[in-house]
Amino acid sequence: MKISRNWLQTYVDLTGRSADEISRAITFLGFEVEGVALTGAPKLEQLVVGEILTRAKHPNADKLSVCTVDIGPAGGVKTIVCGASNCDPGRRVPVALPGAVLPGNFTIKQSQIRGQLSDGMMCSAKELALSDEAAGLLVLDGSPALGTPINAVLPPGDTVFDIEITPNRPDCLGHLGVARELAAWFKQDLVYPEVHFTPEHADPAPRPDLLRALHVDAPEDCPLYTATVITGVKIGRSPAWLQQRLSAVGLRPVNNVVDAGNFVMLEYNQPVHAFDARKLSGQTILVRRAAPGEKITTLDKHERTLTADMLVIADAVKPVVIAGIMGGENSGVSADTTDLVLEVAHFRRQSVRATAKRLALASDSSYRYERGVDPHSLEEAMHRCIDLILATAGGTVAGPTLKAGGDVPWQREITVTPAFINERLGFTLPATEMQAALERLELETVRTDPTPDRGPAWTFAIPSWRDDLDRPIDLVEEVLRLHGSDQIPAAPVTAPALLAEDAPMVAFNRRVTDHLVNQGFNECITYTLRPAKEAAAWIAPAPAADLALANPFVEDQSHLRPTLIMGLLDALKLNRSRGTAASRLFETGRMFLGRDGQTWECAAVAFLIAEPPDKRSWLQREPADFSLAKHHMTVIAAAAGLDFSRQPSVPATAPGWQEGQAAAINDHAGHWAARFGLLNLTFVKSLGLEGKIYAGCFAILPEKIAAPAARRRYADFSLFPAALRDLALVVDAATPAADVQKALAKAARAAAGNSFAIESVTVFDLYQGKGLPEGKKSLAFSLVFRSSTRTLTDDEVNAVFAQIQKAITADGTLSVRA
Amino acid sequence: MQDQLSALLAQAAAELPALTTRPEFEAAKARYVGPHGALTALMKQMGALPKEQKPVAGKLINETKGQLQTQLDTALARIEAAEIAAQLGPAVDVTLPSPDAPPGTRHPLTLVRDELCSILRKAGFVIADGPEVETEYYCFDALNTPADHPARDAQDTFYLPDGVRFGNVAKKNPGEKYLLRTHTSSVQIRTMLAGKPPIRIVAPGRVYRRDTVDATHSANFHQIEGLYVDRGVTVRDLKALLDYIFASLLGPDTKVRFRPHYFGYTEPSFEVDLSARHLPKVNKEWVEICGCGMVDPLVFEGVGYDTDVWSGYAFGIGLERLAMMLYGIDDIRYFYQNDLRFLRQFS
Repeated sequence: MKISRNWLQTYVDLTGRSADEISRAITFLGFEVEGVALTGAPKLEQLVVGEILTRAKHPNADKLSVCTVDIGPAGGVKTIVCGASNCDPGRRVPVALPGAVLPGNFTIKQSQIRGQLSDGMMCSAKELALSDEAAGLLVLDGSPALGTPINAVLPPGDTVFDIEITPNRPDCLGHLGVARELAAWFKQDLVYPEVHFTPEHADPAPRPDLLRALHVDAPEDCPLYTATVITGVKIGRSPAWLQQRLSAVGLRPVNNVVDAGNFVMLEYNQPVHAFDARKLSGQTILVRRAAPGEKITTLDKHERTLTADMLVIADAVKPVVIAGIMGGENSGVSADTTDLVLEVAHFRRQSVRATAKRLALASDSSYRYERGVDPHSLEEAMHRCIDLILATAGGTVAGPTLKAGGDVPWQREITVTPAFINERLGFTLPATEMQAALERLELETVRTDPTPDRGPAWTFAIPSWRDDLDRPIDLVEEVLRLHGSDQIPAAPVTAPALLAEDAPMVAFNRRVTDHLVNQGFNECITYTLRPAKEAAAWIAPAPAADLALANPFVEDQSHLRPTLIMGLLDALKLNRSRGTAASRLFETGRMFLGRDGQTWECAAVAFLIAEPPDKRSWLQREPADFSLAKHHMTVIAAAAGLDFSRQPSVPATAPGWQEGQAAAINDHAGHWAARFGLLNLTFVKSLGLEGKIYAGCFAILPEKIAAPAARRRYADFSLFPAALRDLALVVDAATPAADVQKALAKAARAAAGNSFAIESVTVFDLYQGKGLPEGKKSLAFSLVFRSSTRTLTDDEVNAVFAQIQKAITADGTLSVRA
Repeated sequence: MQDQLSALLAQAAAELPALTTRPEFEAAKARYVGPHGALTALMKQMGALPKEQKPVAGKLINETKGQLQTQLDTALARIEAAEIAAQLGPAVDVTLPSPDAPPGTRHPLTLVRDELCSILRKAGFVIADGPEVETEYYCFDALNTPADHPARDAQDTFYLPDGVRFGNVAKKNPGEKYLLRTHTSSVQIRTMLAGKPPIRIVAPGRVYRRDTVDATHSANFHQIEGLYVDRGVTVRDLKALLDYIFASLLGPDTKVRFRPHYFGYTEPSFEVDLSARHLPKVNKEWVEICGCGMVDPLVFEGVGYDTDVWSGYAFGIGLERLAMMLYGIDDIRYFYQNDLRFLRQFS
């Protein structure tokens, strides 16, 4: 909101305070200063109005003229050399006399210009810092008297502060509110506007022919409505001071009546609306709900279609105002208006907000009603506006102000002690400073009660415009604001230990990140919101619908991501397109899965390994493969407390993965899920990426990430040597190695019984090809036997080993390879 | 005999240096000192010598044996050295780069997040976590943001459709909507409801606003939230903590100032400005970096904490904004493009 310094000056004396000082005050009062602008003319001495009498070409310069200029009583006729093209006789222009100091510290002297005496300078708007217009002399309209000091003719200089008013302080949407704050800050008096009009000043004769009655149909949204009839006004331009006030803060002056209303709004934060009384049909103003589909063309010349929940001000046949938002063209004040109805009303903020939002129509008025208007300043604002209209447009107030609804009662008191304030602040302020600060904000001390140990208990009456003050803590803020929140004394950090743990998620992310970074992966951060078609491609189309946002902002960010891999592929593609060699990427973050008709927010980790198709190196390493992806997935799962060596992998069937080259490990309870292996080559190619890309994505419900395991007990281990046997088994090529391993381990345990332990059964070789029947493969296992009580003999181990071979081949599905 | 011994030594001196392999060496060694070797044969002849010659001959033989052994040791050492050299191959060019992937990198936002967390852990804060899909209660209602507040507009906040059910994000009220959290302050509420005071948490995380993406706006970004609840917590404590955080992060020439502001869930509320002489963007003027305040009694009442006993403060810092300031980055989109030339600059 724009606030004019000159305007403020009428309520609080800011003489001698720099713009910086005022900016700082506003800032520390709690309103961010977004800009400070200078407008109007600065104070200019020795600059007067002059009229060009004659113009002659300069004898020694083509582009210069020699003019005689009459400055009247200020010095008679002067000869001035001028470079402007518009120095035509008869024009009245600003004349800087010797001794004048123009903006930019340019002092005017009597001088010789190419052999011609020049006794001053005629000025352009730019030379007076009024605008950037430098093309010609500033021509003064309206024939101001010769010799008049220029500041009396030009708009006065002003400083305009653009400040952000926080939503809790609607009172500062008016100059009076900001002035009150500054008066409190600078410890100055606040001078309220002088309001002269009282109901006794009205012409006692009402004008029922213009307005007979008010009726409010919806008092819940319009608790108070007042209207005053003013007759015999003469519409015209506002006086200069009023136009300057409005122009300074960015409002275009319209006419004396509209300007008076706007002025009062920007003074009291109370919107005012004036209608042309003769454009009202019937003699009753009705505040009612709009009829569904009812139309009104507002002052901005747009036709608006209304709905039944919107509030309008209507006459007998038509709506004339959208309540609290904007008037209709059909009833506005125009040049020939003579009789006015002046509306000052209170509308419920939620109602104004809902209507303004629905119509996408915001105005200075709706902005104020939405934020909060003090109903208790309503009458004063009405009187102030009447004063201004009578003074600038003439006319007579016809009869008493009509009123519908009642005053919203206001009485609020807060009791607080200095001890409470000091306790909350953490430092001590004198009680007298506190009370004085609050009183400067017009919180009146209505009672002071002694307390045994907490100082005086003050009870303050809260002014009606400070609806934000409701509790003792709110007064702590007021005291601190006026003390200066940059004055909080420094202190050491006091931090008694809480002995609490970080969330398990934190340790999980840290372990995963440590591992992947150590393995050469670059951490990426990609967007959570992804396009619909991608969500459908990655998971089956049906559950993708559950990931849709109700109100996406852009089409390609409409769905929650069902995997982190797509973002990583984007990053890979970007790097490749920029010629940056990227091969290992990962991300940790949230992803979203559907299961059992519900959506689940998961903590997730994804990585990808994509050797560039043309990777060159002076030394070739083994290329990435499925097992590498599985290794990283196993480490990631371990970080979440899961042992993937004990979890069966199954072929991944989800879209996005290459059939036969990727795996899934799933939790039957649905607490976590893992996919890893080769990304589908066709799919990847469709994204514009070449080559094999191995990837993994692990998702777990955050609440299922295991906390650190309880401390383990030491278990005794054997000091006797192990006995080793190798066994190669021939099985169908399609038989998973894990199944064979499981069967072999089971057979081994059965054969060894209680006599000794089977320490491990691990696969160490895989062979397929020459020497084996078609469709078969050979898996070689290493079996480790060990006793905790003795060294095993060859004989007993051989006996068990023979038994194992017999048992494992019993059903004929596999055979021992010779 | 002396001649024979001399001849033997001469022969060994001629033959042994020419040996190149271990089997050749073993065979030669056998020929000299093995059970059937030449020296052994000479030693056997000693028995046949007259008694008075024996000490002289014995001495000679011992000397020869010692010299032979030295020659053999030399030959063996030479062969072993050759074997190791063969095993090693030519010397490596130590200046060649490793063909393996260089160490990876942490994202700059992770680095800043971790640094802030570690600064706060020193002050006794533990790291908390909460869901990104939230409900109106946790994101707004419980934080004293009324139903008609503009922040809740569908214009500014992403909502999920009415029919969607989240398995692991519980609603507080049956009718409320799911949304993407607009700030990490929702973690305050979840933490306070789940635990008992005193509380001291820091909650980093991703948040969402319906914003047009440009150099300073992103559809999702990251915040770090702090909450401290205890007996007798004061404004001065809050200022002390933020002074500590930013001095730790930016060095002792950092200045921190509080400006009064308004947030629904704190009272009093402040915006925090920074200035630090050594940072290019912050050396001349104050730069806003954080919002904070004393937890509003209404928030405590909502989670059932006795406001006569407990007080506290909360603060929220935008991670991207902070990282941009710390590293001198001028476009927020770089964080999400993941160009490796960008990512590799910060590790």
